[in-house]
Amino acid sequence: MTTTDAAVAATSENAPVTAARRQHVARSLVERYGLVILFVVVFVAFASVWNYPATFRSSDNVQQVLRSQAIPAILALASILPLVCGQFDLTVGSVAGISAITVAGAITDHHLSLALGIVLALGIGLVIGLVNGLLVAYVGVNSLIATLGVGIAVSGLVEWYAGGRSILIATTGSLAKVGSRNWFGVPSLVYFVAGFAVVFYYLLQHTPLGRYLHSIGSNATAAHLVGLDVRRLTLLAFVVSALVSAIAGVLYLGAIGSASASGGGIPLTLPALVAVFLGATTIKPGRFNVLGTLVAVYLLAFALSGLSLNGVESWVQNLVTGTGLVLAVTFSTLAAREGSP
Amino acid sequence: MGRQLTSTFHEVGQVEREQALALNLTNVSKTFGVTKALDGVSLQVRKGSIHALLGANGSGKSTLVKIIAGVESADHGSQVEAGGRTVAGHHTSPAFARETGIHVVHQDPAVFGHLSVADNLAIGRAAGYDAGLVAPIRERRVHRHTRAVLDRFGLDIDPKTPVAALGPGARAMLAIARVLQDQEQDTGGVLILDEPTASLPSAEADQLIATLQRWAAAGQAIVYVTHRLDEVTRMADTVTVLRDGAHVTTRQAAGLTEEDLVELIVGRSVAEAFPPSRPIVDAEPLLEVRGLCSGRIQDLSFDVRRGEILGIGGLLGSGRTTLLSTLFGVRQPAAGEIRLDGEPLAAGGIRAAIRRGIVMVPEDRSREAALPGLTTRENLSASRVSRYWRRGRLDHRLEAREARGSIAEFLVRVASDAQPFHTLSGGNQQKVILARWLRLTPGLILLDEPTQGVDAGARAEIYRLVRTAVDAGASAIVVSSDPEELAKMADRVLVISRGKLSAELTAPAVTAHRIVEASFGSAHPHEERERP
Ligand SMILES: Nc1ncnc2c1ncn2[C@@H]1O[C@H](COP(=O)(O)OP(=O)(O)OP(=O)(O)O)[C@@H](O)[C@H]1O
Ligand SMILES: [Mg+2]
Repeated sequence: MTTTDAAVAATSENAPVTAARRQHVARSLVERYGLVILFVVVFVAFASVWNYPATFRSSDNVQQVLRSQAIPAILALASILPLVCGQFDLTVGSVAGISAITVAGAITDHHLSLALGIVLALGIGLVIGLVNGLLVAYVGVNSLIATLGVGIAVSGLVEWYAGGRSILIATTGSLAKVGSRNWFGVPSLVYFVAGFAVVFYYLLQHTPLGRYLHSIGSNATAAHLVGLDVRRLTLLAFVVSALVSAIAGVLYLGAIGSASASGGGIPLTLPALVAVFLGATTIKPGRFNVLGTLVAVYLLAFALSGLSLNGVESWVQNLVTGTGLVLAVTFSTLAAREGSP
Repeated sequence: MGRQLTSTFHEVGQVEREQALALNLTNVSKTFGVTKALDGVSLQVRKGSIHALLGANGSGKSTLVKIIAGVESADHGSQVEAGGRTVAGHHTSPAFARETGIHVVHQDPAVFGHLSVADNLAIGRAAGYDAGLVAPIRERRVHRHTRAVLDRFGLDIDPKTPVAALGPGARAMLAIARVLQDQEQDTGGVLILDEPTASLPSAEADQLIATLQRWAAAGQAIVYVTHRLDEVTRMADTVTVLRDGAHVTTRQAAGLTEEDLVELIVGRSVAEAFPPSRPIVDAEPLLEVRGLCSGRIQDLSFDVRRGEILGIGGLLGSGRTTLLSTLFGVRQPAAGEIRLDGEPLAAGGIRAAIRRGIVMVPEDRSREAALPGLTTRENLSASRVSRYWRRGRLDHRLEAREARGSIAEFLVRVASDAQPFHTLSGGNQQKVILARWLRLTPGLILLDEPTQGVDAGARAEIYRLVRTAVDAGASAIVVSSDPEELAKMADRVLVISRGKLSAELTAPAVTAHRIVEASFGSAHPHEERERP
């Protein structure tokens, strides 16, 4: 009996490997840094070729974009933790809203100290985080539904308290100073974004906690069977998310100088989620990640700023955001299908 | 490659050459990133023959099967010929497979956990629900059809049961029944089964094999992937072996022994030097179980001695998995006492069990062990992430180094330790899960079907690793549906039948034959069953 035996395996191995590897490396670079490259292209395009390049790249405009995106960026970071565990948190915007109203109400309506106002806001954030976490992790309610409901209810409370009012805080107070100043030529809020980013990056990439959360998101049953307390960890993710959102609400108040019922809620939540999903297509494709999220927040912000400087109407901006998200996720899905690992 | 095959067919002989080909693959290659999963493979399958497709874990068998099924496309330059039609390998599609009568049972039984057994069967059926897309489903007819199919495959399940409630064995049977439900009338096309018996107990496996043999005799072409080499010598007509994605040989199965097959698969002769089983008599018990009641388990008492490998045999649904998960703290016992080292095992659940040195490799890998989206390295570390917590951060370098160590020790075939877990071949996934737990140097190792889908070479290696751990002072309990495996691994075997101890066999007397005999005990449900 003739057999073709072993030799076959050995021959065809070596030659094509290097070429294939080179091609693979090139592709995975594009896959990983596609969004970063897009960011640079968009920035350079608006800053040099279109109608108002000088205005676009003026430090005023850049600072304005950085400042206005700080709160969405922090909320996006806050929603990463539950998402990593495989759960949605749709309350981040509502928590920021109720936290801003609480602090404004405390210091303006009730003449309490700022510190007390912040403690109250954090307390409310903690309660909302606990409610979310208990419903999702312990009762087993679908997180999309639970947090949608809680978020709407919280918005209702805010409306009840504020009515049609816009509650102003003193522009000379320390909160307004912190929220609106520049430190070393950079908007103060940017430092907060950077601080949270570093903390979250560290938590997710460099601590067992981050690894545990990733494991739960990957397969909760398996995580349970390696001895993780899946419910408590999921609860923790929701609590941290709500606390960070509450802090974002306080900063929001400082930056704007007033709080009203229309300031928070779902309209603040959705851009945050968009940024996290968009961010998951880059740096670490397929995973929710901190750097990718920041790139996504500012990519969208600079693109929209450039468009509006060029007189493009606001409906176009929504169109750009929506299609941008879908296209980015589509490309990264296709890329993942083409060539893994 | 084609030329080599022609010469093979010369050997096989004139008669067979004239028999019509049901499936003809030419020069199929497939590249995933830097991994060449298939490299110019050709395969001819004749009508009326059972063609075994063999190879070590990660040799490309499932990839080839997926290409034939049209769920994965090949690289350019290949050809697939079936049912009188030819298509380029990068253009295969599920539609092509359907139209040419290619039926595939995939390695991962993709069943719908939330849907009922009846829905699972209907959705996988060419005729669907036998109703228009928006016509009302005739529940009674679907129910009747489901009943008939379940009876034919000897499955004693209510059609309304949600599939999530079934164990892996029953789910595997269901996945097979789903594909084969309308096969009885039709022997055209090609039937492809990718490790259908990996999680089936031997009675069910035998039944499936008898069915396949009958269909082959009626003219059906069958491609059969397996690591259970006794099945190959029993039923295969032709054998094709892949190694590292390349075709190694195609030859007649007649005259090949299991040793020959191992040699072809691994590429060298493997001395099957299993560490010998031996009776452990004088050692003190490590684990004492008294009057345990938990789920199906009723009033079970036994000891596991230090340095002993205790095998647990029995039929599907006899309560073996329940026993292990109770010992591991996944479920609380209803009554009875469990002592480890003389100390009662507190009701602290899984964490307490792990702290006391108990580990468990669960039966259902994809549901209970895999972290599919994470890397191989992260899957390995899942059991002890905190070990890498050094000076305020995770020491990724140490983690990677140890991951590479485990990958080498357990013969895992991966491109790197960062390869996503879900892209590993089935057997390699199993090795990663084993390594995840054995690297903890545990005191009591609970193994539930530890070598499912693992190739012959690695299986011997796993036996050796477990024996080494046990010689170093641990004990192990092994649940396996493969009596050969129990006979090879265990020093002592308990056979459980319907939640009760039905027999105890001790080392030189542990043989596969006796285990099978004891499993069936008195009246057992399988004998009365009609063969499908
Ligand atoms: N989607 C994928 N991405 C990257 N690599 C892959 C992918 N699918 C398969 N591979 C690789 O291709 C090779 C062949 O895998 P395949 O599943 O075909 O093996 P197999 O012969 O079926 O093994 P087993 O006996 O373990 O089931 C493996 O090295 C595997 O890691
Ligand atoms: Mg396979």
